[in-house]
Amino acid sequence: MVTSLRLVLRLLRQFSWRELTHHPWRNAAAVVAVMLGVALAFSTHLINASALSEFSQAVRAVNGQPDLELRAVQGTFDETVYARVATHPGVALASPVLEVGTYAVSNGQRVPLKVVGIDALSVAGIAPTLMPVAEASSGDDNRFALFAPNTVFLNAAARQALSGSTLQLQSGLTLQTVAVAGRVSTPGAALAVMDIGAAQDLFGKGGQLSRIDVKLQPGTNAQGLAAKLELPANITLTAPGDDAQRVSNLSRAYRVNLTVLALVALFTGAFLVFSVLSLSVAKRAQQLALLAVLGLTGRERLGLVLAESLLLGLAGSTLGVALGTGLAALALRLLGGDLGGGYFAGVAPALQFDGAAALLYGALGVAAAGVGGWWPARAAQQLPPAQTLKGLGAAQAGRRSHLLSIVLIAAGAIAALAPPVFGIPLAAYVSVAMLLVGGITALPWGVSVLYDRIAPFVSNRLLPLLAVERARRVRESAAVAVSGVVASLSLAVALTVMVASFRDSVTQWLDVVLPADLYVRTALGTSAADTAYFPAAFVTSLAALPGVDRVTSVRTTQVLLDANQPAIALIARPLDDPAKTLPLVGNPLPVPPGQIGIYVSEAMVDLYAARPGTVFEPLSRAFGALARAKLAGTATEIIASQPAAMFFVAGVWRDYARQFGSIAIAQRDFERLSGDRRVNDLAVFLQSSAIEADVQNAIRALAEQQSGAAGLVELASVRQIRATSLNIFDRSFAVTYWLQGVAIAIGLFGVAASFSAQVLARRKEFGLLAHLGLTRRQILTVVAGEGAAWTVIGAIAGVALGLAVSVVLVHVVNPQSFHWTMDLRVPWARLAALCGAVVLAGTATAWLAGRAAAGRDAVLAVKEDW
Amino acid sequence: MTLELDNLSKRYADTPVFSHVSLRVAPGEFVAIVGQSGVGKSTLLNCMAGLDSWDTGRVRLGGVDLGTLSDDQRALLRRQHVGFVFQAFHVLPHLDVAQNVALPLLLLGQHNDERDERDNRDNRVRAMLDAVGLTGLGARLPQQLSGGQLQRVAIARALVHRPRLLLADEPTGNLDPTTAGVVMDALIAQTREHGASLVLVTHSEAAAARADRVLHLSSDGITG
Repeated sequence: MVTSLRLVLRLLRQFSWRELTHHPWRNAAAVVAVMLGVALAFSTHLINASALSEFSQAVRAVNGQPDLELRAVQGTFDETVYARVATHPGVALASPVLEVGTYAVSNGQRVPLKVVGIDALSVAGIAPTLMPVAEASSGDDNRFALFAPNTVFLNAAARQALSGSTLQLQSGLTLQTVAVAGRVSTPGAALAVMDIGAAQDLFGKGGQLSRIDVKLQPGTNAQGLAAKLELPANITLTAPGDDAQRVSNLSRAYRVNLTVLALVALFTGAFLVFSVLSLSVAKRAQQLALLAVLGLTGRERLGLVLAESLLLGLAGSTLGVALGTGLAALALRLLGGDLGGGYFAGVAPALQFDGAAALLYGALGVAAAGVGGWWPARAAQQLPPAQTLKGLGAAQAGRRSHLLSIVLIAAGAIAALAPPVFGIPLAAYVSVAMLLVGGITALPWGVSVLYDRIAPFVSNRLLPLLAVERARRVRESAAVAVSGVVASLSLAVALTVMVASFRDSVTQWLDVVLPADLYVRTALGTSAADTAYFPAAFVTSLAALPGVDRVTSVRTTQVLLDANQPAIALIARPLDDPAKTLPLVGNPLPVPPGQIGIYVSEAMVDLYAARPGTVFEPLSRAFGALARAKLAGTATEIIASQPAAMFFVAGVWRDYARQFGSIAIAQRDFERLSGDRRVNDLAVFLQSSAIEADVQNAIRALAEQQSGAAGLVELASVRQIRATSLNIFDRSFAVTYWLQGVAIAIGLFGVAASFSAQVLARRKEFGLLAHLGLTRRQILTVVAGEGAAWTVIGAIAGVALGLAVSVVLVHVVNPQSFHWTMDLRVPWARLAALCGAVVLAGTATAWLAGRAAAGRDAVLAVKEDW
Repeated sequence: MTLELDNLSKRYADTPVFSHVSLRVAPGEFVAIVGQSGVGKSTLLNCMAGLDSWDTGRVRLGGVDLGTLSDDQRALLRRQHVGFVFQAFHVLPHLDVAQNVALPLLLLGQHNDERDERDNRDNRVRAMLDAVGLTGLGARLPQQLSGGQLQRVAIARALVHRPRLLLADEPTGNLDPTTAGVVMDALIAQTREHGASLVLVTHSEAAAARADRVLHLSSDGITG
């Protein structure tokens, strides 16, 4: 063993090194491919890990380090609870907090801002980074600023975004001016801290809290304490760190998908190693055969070529880890920590290098190269020395059973039916891998099936006969040559179908959710929906504007149904005809008498088991709490007599805007149950004679007239929203087109390398054809014909496999990762163009590869034996 | 078809391969060329077929000066009138025996699927295989044949289209004496039957002895 290893090392130095230095660019291409794969995957990991870490730190800083948190299920809860909690003997310290999402206006800029109202006397013991620090220049008068009304303290991000000693905060459709008195050291997104009483007054939330952070006395059990406190139903108990964990859980599938996408580059890198080493082995076949004659065993030949592939992988991985670190640092600096998923928006993390991950991704790169090198290594091991020395090459392998392929494809189909693991579609990825490997290993069989049937039709035409017969007789080689094309084309087809399906579904979805001509809103996100809203008077006035036919309104609020999940969006809107106004999946169910119909997004079914035809109790509990809160102060027996609302899941709809879950409820039901008549979004239907621009101006004038803040109103036509949405969509998926291009280029490189190897090995054959009277053009036609014959089968297999993979991506990976479905749409024309381009490129590649051999003096090829 | 070489000389860089070679091979004549290794016998054969270039002199085949033809024109001339037999057989590994033999016919065919032509071709291939002693082996792949059988496939292929000139380069070089004898018998018999001229390059005295004329190639020229 040791002797063999020494021998392989010696041969690497003396034999392989020369090959490497003789073809530095070809080997460099393989190293670069592995490097890019490792770099993309590692940088994605570093960016996500750094963002998650930074996000967790920010959450910990804002939330502090309490033993437990009492949070409102929806919005806020009554602060009378605080006194009960703070005075309980099991509680060492209780800190009340009011969190408000709103917008700050500074120098005409509208910036999203989280305002945290705190009790300065208790916050230091739990969340010290929220402790305000008055500006030194402010003088002694500001020592009590932390208790002053209309006074805020900004963190670094807020100070960077908002300049000046005062700023304006949005409340409803009005702006409130506050003074900036100092700073807080809380990291993360823009945040302002102010006294809790001042915050309650400023935002009209007198007597309300968002949460209470609690430090327990030693020995106190958290669950036991919650039971003793007899907390109202609209307060839920959460463990500290749940926020970070929720984001980590939710973004996991997204992060894994990004990593898998990056690993596709590594997969194609493995193919490049395979192609380069296949070519290298083919060129050195006679040298290897000579070494075999001299006593180098098959296992040692395998070890030698495998060692070459691992060395290429090691070089690529080392460079890849370095490049990935650099890319991650650059991306964090230029783009922040968010890679498009929206999970870490506003986070600006520092790079956190992870040595273990570097080793892992480096090892993946080496392993990918090893896998790519395995088949050429096996070819080197199995070459027949005597025949190879004579230039006859390996004898055609006999008919191989395609049982393995069938088993792999069947197992892949079954794996696609498996549920996700920890929210990640792991089985689906395994399914895709099995389908690809099964399909590629079935290629020789496919070649045989197709060309055995074609052969009789070309038996009288020399050039097609030569091309088809060669493809048939050396189908294993043909399969190897086009495997890169099959793999890359199947990935390209799968991505094309997935993106086309998604785009088509999004387009249809936009058609349904955007029925009006014009949309008006003031809150840009759900987090600020309780603070930035339209008062009822504004809506009434807007509906009466000239040119406006009718106006429908939407109220969106957040509800925390489960402490382990992020808050969902509760959307109150007119729902007279849900089948027309919601993008339903299936038909709506009739709502039983006495129950309230709700329509849940697909994520609700996955995350909360809100199945159609069932009563959704978590919402009953949340609304029960709301109803009781609304009746606070009423006699206990009256509250107890209030029947709990029963919510019937009457349908499921597609919501591509919210991954965490959303529920649509009829506006009148919502207002009746909650008493909340605030409005966040307005859909404006114009009269046929109306001029849109005029109506927009009238709406702005109305906002200015009623609140003096026309800038707080955002207006967009349905065309703008559609165009913007689809632009964002196309931009988000632009990377997949690049990936497809790179994958196909690598696949074609594989064809070129393989044909170069074949052509070199067949120089004598071409020499013979020249002797028989074939012109150079005809010989090139034969080679190009073979290229066409091989890439046609590669294209057919690639499309078939790609369609199978796309079904898994569309119907399994996407729903399991993001909790939404889409309709499969196959863009046949685009796929046909893609296939045609690949076949043309493959044929041209083979023709170019053939030129090198056919361009030589044909006589030289056979002369070696004369 | 007459083959004429007139004062032919060839050199690689500064090294002369052969000089002032003149010869004439009459229709149906069997000429053997012998000489030491490295004197350019194979190169001379290539020049006769228009596969290699020469520095001075002329090669004429059937009165046509090969020096005046383009590569493609030479290829067409070869396709119609010349057959080759090599020392290392050179059969296409992915075609079966019958397909290998039929190659020149396919090259000369009009690329139509008329049944008569196909039948005619199949008959000629079968007849050639019978003639060289390979009856019933048409469906086999080259890997399934012995060296002697492969060389007989090469002879059948070289003659199936009835060329006027057959160029053979050490056709028995890779064979044992008994098999070599069988192969030479087949080669000479078929060449005679088809009325073709045969130029044989060989080291084998036994093979050369069967020629009508034996020429000795050396660096000074050709004698015989």
